Amino acid sequence: MRRRRSKPSDAKLNMAAMLDMAFQLLSFFVLTFKPDPAEGQIMLRLPPPEAVAGAKSNTPAGEDKNNTDPIQGIESLIISAFANPDGSIQSLAVGEGGVGENSPDKAKALEARLRVILDDPDVPFKQVILQVGSRLRYDELMKLIDVCTRQKLPNGEPLTKLSFVELPEGGAGAP
Amino acid sequence: MLDMVFQLITFFMLVLNFKAAALDMTLKLPVVGSAMPVDTGGQEELLILNLSPTGDLTVYGEKVNLEGYIAVEAEVSRMAAKSKGLDIKSGDELPTTIVIRADETSRFKDLYRVIETCQKKGYRKFALKAKAKG
Repeated sequence: MRRRRSKPSDAKLNMAAMLDMAFQLLSFFVLTFKPDPAEGQIMLRLPPPEAVAGAKSNTPAGEDKNNTDPIQGIESLIISAFANPDGSIQSLAVGEGGVGENSPDKAKALEARLRVILDDPDVPFKQVILQVGSRLRYDELMKLIDVCTRQKLPNGEPLTKLSFVELPEGGAGAP
Repeated sequence: MLDMVFQLITFFMLVLNFKAAALDMTLKLPVVGSAMPVDTGGQEELLILNLSPTGDLTVYGEKVNLEGYIAVEAEVSRMAAKSKGLDIKSGDELPTTIVIRADETSRFKDLYRVIETCQKKGYRKFALKAKAKG
């Protein structure tokens, strides 16, 4: 019996339908296309707040005669930011000293003060504790964080170790 | 024609950005000089949290309960680490970075609530989003 040779398929692709579908897909992707927004970020390492001076034993303060370093354990620089009711910075303090009381740009005044403090090679500070009034706006806070993260510690490392502490309603006892 | 259309489709498929769905584009980020785009190369896990001016936390467009959501995500992160051979106990540092996108008018008390909750669950690495100057 002779075997029939199969004929080459004469099926034709419907290109018009294919093109329609391709255009539909293309329209979908064009309409849903959202370019990645150009956003930056400040990377922080935020350990939970710790005691400013490490309590290493139950010895009352001043009783340890072997301790010749009175600032042992005090490695945190405390910056306080008090807020106005509108969320702007009312006043700043580094330690207990006010910063830029008469300056319109308080962040700049803070930067100048931090440079003076951190330029001293003998400073023991390794981290910053930011005490912030609860009403302070995020944009004002970011200005302060920006100033802090641009600083370098005496050992050359950038200052990225920050801790936050909330002060009630803008900052109790604000000057 | 069909070739060109398929090439265009391929292009849009490749640049399709699923990450953008996690971002709340209604938020107005503050402008900060030293804010730099950081590419982790996909090596690091990110948890994106959007904080509205009213202090609400939104994730993928949905308002979520802060404590509950962070607790679940921390557990997921711990389990993911376990599958990679890392044994992270409750309260230990998690390898995930928390990305906070807060509106510029958000108050510190709301931001602090988010940070504190994350810290309690073991997160230590944070990225605060802002727009770069210029």
